[in-house]
Amino acid sequence: MKDKKGILIGIGIAAAVLVTLSFYLLNAGNIELNEISLIGIVLIVVALAIYMLWDKIKNIRKGLPAKDERLILTNYKAGLYGFIAAIMSATFGPIIIEILFDYELPGHLVTAVVVLFSGFVFVASYLYMYWKGK
Amino acid sequence: MKTRIKELRARYDLTQEDLAKKIGVRRETILFIEKGKYNPSLKLAHDIAIALQTTIDDLFMFEED
Repeated sequence: MKDKKGILIGIGIAAAVLVTLSFYLLNAGNIELNEISLIGIVLIVVALAIYMLWDKIKNIRKGLPAKDERLILTNYKAGLYGFIAAIMSATFGPIIIEILFDYELPGHLVTAVVVLFSGFVFVASYLYMYWKGK
Repeated sequence: MKTRIKELRARYDLTQEDLAKKIGVRRETILFIEKGKYNPSLKLAHDIAIALQTTIDDLFMFEED
């Protein structure tokens, strides 16, 4: 029951993100290159999150648990990597972008970069460890 | 670490999924334990040993590095 609630909440969040993104795209007008890269990361993170949800649904349908001790451990490790990525991107992200593109990131974009980069690292490292069994 | 899980599964005619259902874990966890890519907790090792009617000592073979 707890797993099903988690899956329903996950599907709701993914749908909300996609609806918000489509409203943004409809009203954005001209989209700049930096926004395209951020939107790309959002789409990748959402796609990977949907894969994780689908995998859980598949296991529940087979009568297997949605998560076990290996996946809980994987979650903790991926969370740690996501946290490290958040700190690193908050510290070095604006500096690197200023050096490479000569562009000073405004505050709201720094927040977006931190959230998206740490989210991406979390999902990517989760799936890597999930497939490799580490 | 080597295991005899595959051998004992075959003896009792159990698939990875059957064993996973018996002990309440995901099939991939059994796969990775068999391949030696994941070291199970003591509790999980105990549960697998009980499900395969053996002991932890008999199931897992530790190798010196």
